[in-house]
Amino acid sequence: MEMAVDTTKNPVPFEMAEFHGPEISKTYKTKVLGAIIKKSKRPLLVVGAELFDDPVMFDKAIEIGKTGIPIAATAHSIKGFIDRGYTENVYQIGFNPLANYLRFKDWMGLDGKGQYDTFILMGIFYKFASATFSALKNFNRDIRRISIDRYYHVSADMSFGNLAFKPDDYHAAVDEVIAVLKK
Amino acid sequence: MGKVEGSFTVEDMKNVQINIGAVIKEEEEWDQPMGPFPYPSIAKLRDWDFKLTDRYRIYYNPICDRCTLCTYGPCDLTGNKRGACGITQEGHQGKLVLLVVLIGCTAHCAHGRHLYHWCLDRFGDMPFDMGPEIDVDAPLTRTICGIKPKTIKDFGPVLSYIEEEVSQLLACCHTGQEASYRDFDSKALHAGMLDSLGKEVSDMIQIIAYDMPRGDPDAPLVEIGMGCLDKNKAIFITYGHNVAGAAESIFYAEENNLWDKVDIGGVCCTAIDNTRIGEGLGHPWIKKNLGTKVKVAGAMGWWRKMVRAGVMDCVMVDEQCVYCDVLEECSARKIPVIASNEKILLGLKDRTNDPADEIVDDLVNFKVPGVIVLDPIKAGEVGIRTAIAVKPERAEAQANIFLTEEEFNKHVEACTQCNSCAFVCPPHLKISNAMEEAAKGNLEPFSSTYEICVGCRRCEQVCPQDIPVLKCYAYANQEYIKNQKFKMRAGRGPVLDTEIRIVGAPLCLGTIPGIIALVGCANYPNGTKECYDMAREFARRGYIVITTGCMAMDMSLYTDEEGRTIWEEFPGAFDGGNVCNIGSCVANAHGHGAGIKVATIYAHRNERGNYDDIADYVLNKVGVCGIAWGAMSQKAASIATGFNRLGVPVVVEPHGVMYRRAYLGRTDVKEDWEIIDARDGSKVYCEPAPEHLLYVAETKEEAMLMLAKLCFRPSDNNAGRMIKLTHYCDINMKYFGQMPPDWPIYVRHASDLPLVYKDKMLKELEEKHDWKIDWKRKMILEGPIRPSEVAFDPTNIERKIRVRK
Repeated sequence: MEMAVDTTKNPVPFEMAEFHGPEISKTYKTKVLGAIIKKSKRPLLVVGAELFDDPVMFDKAIEIGKTGIPIAATAHSIKGFIDRGYTENVYQIGFNPLANYLRFKDWMGLDGKGQYDTFILMGIFYKFASATFSALKNFNRDIRRISIDRYYHVSADMSFGNLAFKPDDYHAAVDEVIAVLKK
Repeated sequence: MGKVEGSFTVEDMKNVQINIGAVIKEEEEWDQPMGPFPYPSIAKLRDWDFKLTDRYRIYYNPICDRCTLCTYGPCDLTGNKRGACGITQEGHQGKLVLLVVLIGCTAHCAHGRHLYHWCLDRFGDMPFDMGPEIDVDAPLTRTICGIKPKTIKDFGPVLSYIEEEVSQLLACCHTGQEASYRDFDSKALHAGMLDSLGKEVSDMIQIIAYDMPRGDPDAPLVEIGMGCLDKNKAIFITYGHNVAGAAESIFYAEENNLWDKVDIGGVCCTAIDNTRIGEGLGHPWIKKNLGTKVKVAGAMGWWRKMVRAGVMDCVMVDEQCVYCDVLEECSARKIPVIASNEKILLGLKDRTNDPADEIVDDLVNFKVPGVIVLDPIKAGEVGIRTAIAVKPERAEAQANIFLTEEEFNKHVEACTQCNSCAFVCPPHLKISNAMEEAAKGNLEPFSSTYEICVGCRRCEQVCPQDIPVLKCYAYANQEYIKNQKFKMRAGRGPVLDTEIRIVGAPLCLGTIPGIIALVGCANYPNGTKECYDMAREFARRGYIVITTGCMAMDMSLYTDEEGRTIWEEFPGAFDGGNVCNIGSCVANAHGHGAGIKVATIYAHRNERGNYDDIADYVLNKVGVCGIAWGAMSQKAASIATGFNRLGVPVVVEPHGVMYRRAYLGRTDVKEDWEIIDARDGSKVYCEPAPEHLLYVAETKEEAMLMLAKLCFRPSDNNAGRMIKLTHYCDINMKYFGQMPPDWPIYVRHASDLPLVYKDKMLKELEEKHDWKIDWKRKMILEGPIRPSEVAFDPTNIERKIRVRK
């Protein structure tokens, strides 16, 4: 499949001073990110209230949910899913307590089936998301950290480059990830 | 020599030196024995801290993975690796949190220390009289130190205690001292408690010395907003937190009859305290209601917007929360600056001992951009005289404050939409969109985002076109600036004992669903209006809403459908459905004080040197939750941590992750929620109430949900739990579109269920959660975590057990 968007460019944190330390995220092509997510055994998609600023992203999250990946809807983003009639595998939970649970190996997950192995994030207030990636980077390294957000996330393991001001490219990139997941 | 009730006089004696130690006469003044922890040192309350952090797990989100504090470094601690000294990432984060809390604590304590010396110099020692409706008059001082202050001087030992503890705590941060993150956190909680005590001392001293309200629910309404400052007069701005110099400027204006020539406005907490002067029980020479002649220019977040809006002729800064470029900002506009406190000297020359005439002359003729005047009386005089005299001299600079239309158009057209500004904007404003629209003649994006802009100026520093973004904002919002005229209730001070007698039972049983305390700074994620929205939501729901500092100021900038500000819409008592402005940020201590008073006045707990007992009571029985929605400073961190040690949960805004630490409960670990029934020492597994102690919320909606949720307490009776559950479910339905998924864990009995949802809930409990329901009686037979029991007496402290099983 031909990838339309180069998501490896522009690895610049959205808030310029967000450099945490020597270990920083690499940027990946959509195909690679999609394949890694697809391969993971216990992925969790985490989405937040920034989806309300770009509502089409709710539809894309639902597409991902339909591939079997459970969704943690943080803040009041659950409303976006309810309004679209999709609540199948969507869980309302605050981002802060979710991050706390994710650092404990004995947590059984939102569905009671066990801790997750892959944390996929999009649509959460940048500074909050960045700090949470940092918490997992430091205190639970068993979970792979993937950003499919419109921002480059320095403390993820894998991220898109910055697409914050190219909404069309960003939408296309997420579509490409979804396409891989559906394959 | 005669002896009269503990004092004596010495007559006709020469060359005699008498040294007297502390006169101990406390015992006769108390009707309760000294508790176990008077003046607690670092380790004394450690058991209590560990009880808290056993349940509320310490969660760190490092902002930097390295340690650079000693020459072994930089050490990479990523993944909880150890540094060269042996410290782990967790330990390092704990150390940083302690440092931050100590910075905040010392700011409040040093504020109190300055006021202590100054007020004794200025007014002499004064009786500590909080008026006829306050008997428990310094609740934190009583609880932490075990003393009852009688005069201002009695706060001296309290300040000395804080200073010694702070010194010990800071020493713990040296390389090679403390290693355990749990102990670092206990120390941070200790610093938080000291912070609360320092705040109480500060506010009590100024209440007495400046005759501020002693818990007046009808404290006067004062003017707030840039538009209320009269441009026909000279405008003198007092900026910071310490009222000493500002008060003298007010006295000078009053004594010299200058109110027709000068308007005095305040920024940040000095603004609130200015407007409290002379509204108390009466003062030998401060005129009644003098503070109402002063105006509140605005909260800290408006500072740079004010400078660019040309609302001032002269500025006096005192201490805390003052932007570090105040001198550069002002001198660029020919606004003289007076530094009046040793904490902020700005590299200026100390002119304290020079004649006022010479200082004024130098400032008015712009020979210097600013001066240091550390004598508050002289600083006040110099400030007022300079403002009046400099106004005509800076007429040209003032005339050029706003961009011309031509300049504005040139700037917005120069924008290349590179978005460098958006990359550094704290609330992520799309400034380039505003520029693009303005270039087409549409100023609406500049208007609608004006209140969201926090005025940090980072956008201007990175703009490759050198566009003065804040000046563009000012140009586009000239009408708003002119019309920003509102009312704010002056800070009322402490909660009255009489108010506690009325609300104590409803609060502990839950029929008043909780106290919501909106405190802190002005770094909001989405603008000032969210303060107003949250306060209004909870006041309308019957909660007691208290507020202080920048949030109190910012929630004043809106009106309801009838044109009433929040202070005109809701009464100002400490009661359900009221909104009280308690005062400036040191007045946050009265929020702690209210919790302590519920324990002492309503429940007759002994507070004297008995901190953990009182905190245990608050944690288990008083539904209270703080929110710092614009938390910016280290003081906000120490305020929150002080609330946490007293058992009060706090919610912060998403920027709050910069504090690096939260306290979060695990509802999936049953053992975490084991609690003691003080009646017989039996252990009870309880619902998670409150579930968290320090929580970062992503949005206003989530924050409001958590505020409602974190008011649950194990002691709620059925009617109280039903009311709290009603609000929790209702907020979730309103903003989230569904019932909260965890509502069943808060149900102990069918009477806990909100009437409006009762049948639906019983059905769901039976069908989805396998609870056994007696449908005939609409009773729950099996299912809840624990049964509801009226006499249940929850505690976490073993010594509170009355009879062991």
